[in-house]
Amino acid sequence: MNLKKSRNIRSSSSCLDGIGRQDGESKRKRKMAEITQALNATPVNVATLRRMAISEGGLITDEIRCKVWPRLLNVPVENIPEKLDEVNRENDKDYNQVLLDVQRSLRRFPPGMPDEQRMGLQEELIDIILRVLQNNPQLHYYQGYHDIVVTFLLVLGERLATALVEKLSTHHLRDFMDPTMDNTKHILNYLMPIIERVNPEVYECMQQAEVGTIFALSWLITWFGHVLSDFRHVVRLYDFFLACHPLMPIYFAAVIVLYREEEVLECECDMAMMHHLLSQIPQDLPYETLISRAGDLFVQFPPSELAKGVTQECTQQTAASTFTDFGLASAQQRPDTVLRHRRREQQQQQKNGNAVDPQRGTVAVFRPGARRLVRLAVMGITVALGAAALAVVNSALEWAPKLDLQFL
Amino acid sequence: MESSLEFSSSLTSSTLPPPRTRIFKIIVIGDSGVGKTCLTYRFCAGKFPDKTEATIGVDFREKVIEIDGEKIKVQLWDTAGQERFRKSMVQHYYRNVHAVVFVYDVTSAASFRSLPAWIEECRQHALGHEVPRILVGNKCDLRHAAQVSTEVAQQFADAHSMPLFETSAKSPQGGSNDSDHVEAIFMTVAHKLKSQKPLMLSQPANTVTLRGRDQEEEEQRGSWGCGCWRS
Repeated sequence: MNLKKSRNIRSSSSCLDGIGRQDGESKRKRKMAEITQALNATPVNVATLRRMAISEGGLITDEIRCKVWPRLLNVPVENIPEKLDEVNRENDKDYNQVLLDVQRSLRRFPPGMPDEQRMGLQEELIDIILRVLQNNPQLHYYQGYHDIVVTFLLVLGERLATALVEKLSTHHLRDFMDPTMDNTKHILNYLMPIIERVNPEVYECMQQAEVGTIFALSWLITWFGHVLSDFRHVVRLYDFFLACHPLMPIYFAAVIVLYREEEVLECECDMAMMHHLLSQIPQDLPYETLISRAGDLFVQFPPSELAKGVTQECTQQTAASTFTDFGLASAQQRPDTVLRHRRREQQQQQKNGNAVDPQRGTVAVFRPGARRLVRLAVMGITVALGAAALAVVNSALEWAPKLDLQFL
Repeated sequence: MESSLEFSSSLTSSTLPPPRTRIFKIIVIGDSGVGKTCLTYRFCAGKFPDKTEATIGVDFREKVIEIDGEKIKVQLWDTAGQERFRKSMVQHYYRNVHAVVFVYDVTSAASFRSLPAWIEECRQHALGHEVPRILVGNKCDLRHAAQVSTEVAQQFADAHSMPLFETSAKSPQGGSNDSDHVEAIFMTVAHKLKSQKPLMLSQPANTVTLRGRDQEEEEQRGSWGCGCWRS
């Protein structure tokens, strides 16, 4: 696959953007109708909503996001209490750090917002964060968490945001919220293998410069909320990430690096210069094209396959590894409980002297040959639909076995 | 050996930047919110940033300076203050640093009390004694709210053989030459490095240091100019 920042890409993306206004408007209306239909179906058609969140344009408006994001995270809105828990700021171990970070987060609020309104929202932001942390003592605050929470607050308001952030924190963000950042580092280790598989030259160049992966740290743990200045781009990416596997932000990070191939190859082979280049994210990225590519890469090189090359110190314990490759199964998964369960299980097995199969919990159900075929089938389908996303959407658990039968 | 020499191993000509542009790599550490980003920004951009945010991981800034007619690249690594980032994330950036700048906030006693932990952090990253360190007390424009006295800070600096600078990355009202002062701090470090490393190659990777007698003598003397520079 050629991810070169070439004229082709530019023209294809400008072609997408350049669709006549009327055409764009009718597409938009069609999409909105489809989303409404999926929301009104009984039961709600979550698979379609995922597809909408990933496909071109994402969920279009914040109004729609308020309805769809809870579905993507499987949070039953009707069960959210009307009144939020009181937050005790006194004696909170995280309060000082949270306050410090929230006070400095001015850039995350819309530029024209009156100070008074912004300060009110900042208070709510502190409350949401502390509330979630106080309800979940196993979670630890990290700088950058506030960048994620503010996005939810601005789109959903305090009540909904609290519920969704809590769910997100025990799932997608779980690994970042460990007592240490070892698991976060481990997840960053997926970045280079993806780049290596797509473009060995870029990989080699980065390796030689010993640039490391910290340039992508803030991208990963804030879902790009910390580095993108246009809020519309941030929420568009959140549509995408909420609909996908928790490792998708790493694939998106890889896609950005690969998109800048020429700059990377031209860069002085020096850690500082390379870090500097890569950490400065271009603000005019062709987001829709990159999203679609990240989806493609995910299908082509699923985490379970990459994991073979990734330094595996703690596969057993990452929450991300408990998600299946092809997306959040609609059946509710709870990595946090999964983790605890697994730890117990592991301890038990260690007692009994049994080894633990490192592949358990990931989609290792296909026989090797079959798996390749399924993957190709997936690629075929996605190409036909113009969004790799689809594959990520419909969990393999739902439909891959059917393909299995069909193709074998 | 009369002087400190550094040899770079595993260098290939293709990986070298243009010859003889020396690079001084300085890491800036200290608690969250003490103003590390402001200080480094101020030095590199020459002005106080209007909005700074929490640093996540490590940010990089650079400035080319001239000392005695020689152009030198000063690279500043601005690090996240939250403890969790130190442990596993930032270590990569301690490699081959030439100097360390410890920063505390004069209005926060807690940030001053954390300094021993930051010094220990450096020790764990195996930074030798020959790596110059300086201590910067920031936010002096808020002197009325000061919680750390110059005397106490000076004692601490002396005990650790570091020069102390008290400054403000932000100009007090009415303006002054504080900007020059921030610049002077980093320039002092650069001068020190230049005199200490006359033969340092441009690429600091994988350096082996042979310490000369001069330097050891200097270390025995304690420090390099333990004074306090105040704005």
